[in-house]
Amino acid sequence: MLRLSWKNLRAHKRRLIGTSLSVIIGIAFLSGTFVFTDTLNKVFDDLFADVFEHTDAYVRSSNEIETGFGFTQRGRIPEETVALVAAVPGVREAVPDVTGFARIIGKDGDAVGQDFGPPTFGSSIVESSLQPWEVVEGRYPSGPDEMVMDKGSFDNGDFTLGDRARVNSQGGLREFTIVGVVRFGDADSPGGATFALFDLPTAQEFVGQPGQIDAVLVGGDGQSQEELAASIRETLNDPSIEVLTGQEITEENQSDVEEGLSFFNILLLVFAGIALFVSVFIIYNTFSIIVAQRQRETALLRAIGASRRQVVGSLLLESVFIGVIASLIGLLVGVALSQVLKTGLDAAGIDLPSGDLVILPRTVIVAIIVGVVVTVVASVSPAFQASRVPPVAAMRDVAVEHFGFSRRRLLVGLGITAIGIVGVAVGLAGEPSVLGLGIPLVFIGVFVLGPLISRPVARFVGAPLPKIKGITGTLARENAMRNPKRTARTAAALMVGVALVAGISVLASSIKSSIRDIFDQQFTGDFVISTQSFGFGGLSPELADRVNALPEVAAATGVRIGTALINGDAEALSVIDPTTAGQVFDLDMQAGSIEDLTDEGILISRDTAEDEELEVGSTLRLQMIDGAERTVTVQGVYGDDDLAGPFTISKGLWAQSGADQFDFSIYILTAPGVSDDEARAAIQPLADEYPAADLESRSEYIDSQASQIDTFVNLVYGLLALAVIIAVVGIANTLSLSVYERTRELGLIRAVGGSRRQVRGTIRWESVITALLGAVQGIVIGILLGYAVIVALRDEGLESFSVPVGALLVVVILAFVCGVVAAIRPARRAARMNVLAAIAHE
Amino acid sequence: MSTFSPADTLPPPSSPTTVAARAVHASKVYGSGESAVRALDDVTVEFATGAFTAIMGPSGSGKSTLMHCSAGLDNLTSGSVFIGDVELGKLSEKALTQLRRDRVGFVFQAFNLVPTLNAYENITLPMALAGRDPDKAWLDQVVKTVGLSDRLKHRPSELSGGQQQRVAVARALAGRPDIIFADEPTGNLDSRTGAEILDFMRRAVREFGQTIVMVTHDPMAASYSDRVVFLVDGKVVDQMAEPTAERVLDRIKVLGG
Repeated sequence: MLRLSWKNLRAHKRRLIGTSLSVIIGIAFLSGTFVFTDTLNKVFDDLFADVFEHTDAYVRSSNEIETGFGFTQRGRIPEETVALVAAVPGVREAVPDVTGFARIIGKDGDAVGQDFGPPTFGSSIVESSLQPWEVVEGRYPSGPDEMVMDKGSFDNGDFTLGDRARVNSQGGLREFTIVGVVRFGDADSPGGATFALFDLPTAQEFVGQPGQIDAVLVGGDGQSQEELAASIRETLNDPSIEVLTGQEITEENQSDVEEGLSFFNILLLVFAGIALFVSVFIIYNTFSIIVAQRQRETALLRAIGASRRQVVGSLLLESVFIGVIASLIGLLVGVALSQVLKTGLDAAGIDLPSGDLVILPRTVIVAIIVGVVVTVVASVSPAFQASRVPPVAAMRDVAVEHFGFSRRRLLVGLGITAIGIVGVAVGLAGEPSVLGLGIPLVFIGVFVLGPLISRPVARFVGAPLPKIKGITGTLARENAMRNPKRTARTAAALMVGVALVAGISVLASSIKSSIRDIFDQQFTGDFVISTQSFGFGGLSPELADRVNALPEVAAATGVRIGTALINGDAEALSVIDPTTAGQVFDLDMQAGSIEDLTDEGILISRDTAEDEELEVGSTLRLQMIDGAERTVTVQGVYGDDDLAGPFTISKGLWAQSGADQFDFSIYILTAPGVSDDEARAAIQPLADEYPAADLESRSEYIDSQASQIDTFVNLVYGLLALAVIIAVVGIANTLSLSVYERTRELGLIRAVGGSRRQVRGTIRWESVITALLGAVQGIVIGILLGYAVIVALRDEGLESFSVPVGALLVVVILAFVCGVVAAIRPARRAARMNVLAAIAHE
Repeated sequence: MSTFSPADTLPPPSSPTTVAARAVHASKVYGSGESAVRALDDVTVEFATGAFTAIMGPSGSGKSTLMHCSAGLDNLTSGSVFIGDVELGKLSEKALTQLRRDRVGFVFQAFNLVPTLNAYENITLPMALAGRDPDKAWLDQVVKTVGLSDRLKHRPSELSGGQQQRVAVARALAGRPDIIFADEPTGNLDSRTGAEILDFMRRAVREFGQTIVMVTHDPMAASYSDRVVFLVDGKVVDQMAEPTAERVLDRIKVLGG
């Protein structure tokens, strides 16, 4: 039997490639993801190990507020701590560190670094072995007029030593002389981040806070890190300061990166999973067809004495071979892909510290196990199908798969779909992990039902063909309908990809229209200045004041995001300027007013008021990152919290926290009688002085807010393309097998005068019908899934349901193209067939 | 009968001695060197218009090869074949396809019909492929002649073997081709059904003036034809006009069939 499996494989190399291609693609993506993220992890592990190589202890504030979405803010500590730490016995060296946001402006006037790219830092630099920096040109900065920068920024900004460079920070816009260039280990700019480095007082004043530092790096004189950290802790004896060992701060940084990458990792793995899920459909289909085509051969085996078990075993063995070979090839392709990706990132300016690809044993083991399991699971049912072939079938003509209406199929299909729908419902109701089970079950249920619906849908989809394409169209449509099981299974692979694309586009379109509604209602101004940064840094506070001072402007109000512990829970805060915010926002005030918000007060949303049973006059405990606890009074309640969130405080109160002060956007109302053009002419020159400050009109701003989701959606589309490519491979594979099966029929058509073009057309249109069948099923499922998600999120402010007709039409057109592409090779083979060989009798 | 008639001596077109197709010094060799097989060895033969010609011979005699080459399904190693005045060897693949579609009809032994098309669609398939409308009156007559009027909406799988072959004959007749090639058309049928099909073919020749060339190894089938051409080892060894089953059988015995 082993020999038979092997011989079968070798006899059908082409089919082997067709079957394995889908597994190869899926496994390549899976192993590529592992290799790439493992490599990045290793690179950053090494990086932080280098950075803190000589750091034995790390002293920083223990006031930290974390509010999800990676928003963590930590307080600062007094500069005097450095001297206190240095005096502790066993401390050889204590070096202060200040780090904040700063953006370097290149010689061409544009900010260095990408919008939405890696962060841009401003930091202190002191000559010490504890610093990660190495001066490769020039010298260390000294005094309020000097800076050095990382080599990456230096080269990108096209600077030379001695140049004056402008830097933007919360301290405003300032010019410095570049006196040196530094490298970070062996990286020109670590992970693509940019660094502007100053001496300590300059850094404190420009990017931090005078008299405050972020951390103290400590070098010991030989005792263990634990002992050193313990004695510093004992000496300082301050609960607002924490002391970590060098080992701990290294691991914390490493695990932060790992956590950040793990999101990325999981996202990619989800798509690898989708691709492999689609592969299962394709392998299942291929094996079913092979089993049908081999019926006589199998019957012959049975007739000469092979047991059912041997038949099943032989097929499963064949699938194990395919699984192993495909996984190994996929693994190699995956490693190659991650090398390409790494090189690509380097080329895109995201300079990663050098390092070889990391191929962990886990990657190899998971790739092979997953590849084999996927293949074998998909071939179990066809293998048992094969074992049911009666020996007498050897004497019959090759039978095609028969299909009739089956009540059992209907019930089983509906049952699985129903369980899937319940799974989706439970998942959306708050158990997201169940979604991963529910959605595949819906697909499997529809897959089981597929043969029941594929004939009528194919008839419907193909209805115009006979009229447009004549006999070619008729043949194509009939071929698509002749074997509903096969057509349905083939289409199912595409259905999965299309359903996810359709679901996400419905979701994206609904979210966009919600965003539009929200801004339309709650933002009443005319212009917005915004900046492209992910919550780190932003617009210098002086810009809002300068715009506000313009005679063409009635009100310009900057908005910040803060974090605080409110009654002990970490919460995100909106930080506003009460004197102007009320003129550009309509928050539907239920009680109090924005203008009356003081530095001792807080505004809360109606939902918060109801949930927490608060009203105007109630008090809340508020702790910001300086660690001090304040009591604030509720001074107002607003109805619309889509923009403001649950809590809003004044910028005066926020400034007391010692946190960095940046506006993420400035909202502007023009003065009465001033035209939009006049206002823009007045504001634009101010905005131009600040890098990365974009002035947009109300409608432009709303458009760009709504389209922010596009970046993410496009990424998801890109990843789903993988599933679609696999589906195309599947359609091509099925068609090839069908062409092989219909050799004589195609020969006959050629003999009675069908041209090669007509034969190609027949195959092509059959393929298009199959693809459209998948697309139609997918779009229906996708819209329903999208709708389910939106219903579940209704409470979160997602109030619109919008079906993006244009986008879905594009999906249909793409499915059409997929059909045409999938048919290229099978159609060519069919047309090239030797007519005589096809019709000659056995 | 002369093996080659110069054009100026040809009788008028309606005359039964007009040539619908012919092979001139046709040779076909499969393989090369030691293992070469000469399937056709310098064959020169004519198929008269409006006649029912049978090609007979034992297995491997080259009778199928002669038919395939004459019908433009296969090409010769040397020599030439003509349909009317057209030399097939000079035609492109595309022109050959068109010629088969417009001027040649086929009836095969088995797998004659496209399983996804019904009887009517199968009958009109060559015309549909050409994008032509069938001649309605003619089609009705053909359908009536082969007795399929009430079976037109049926798929091949819903028809008996005999009915399937009748559909195939109807398809061959429907386009009024210059010549119909039939390759063992009754090979898969019982003798009674086979006789029916042969009868249709003979009537098509007698009543409609259709030209038919049939390959067979069955003396009974050959007896329906006007003339039998005997092939052995790729060579024409004999011909017989007005054959009967007994005479054909006797001849085969002599020829070593």
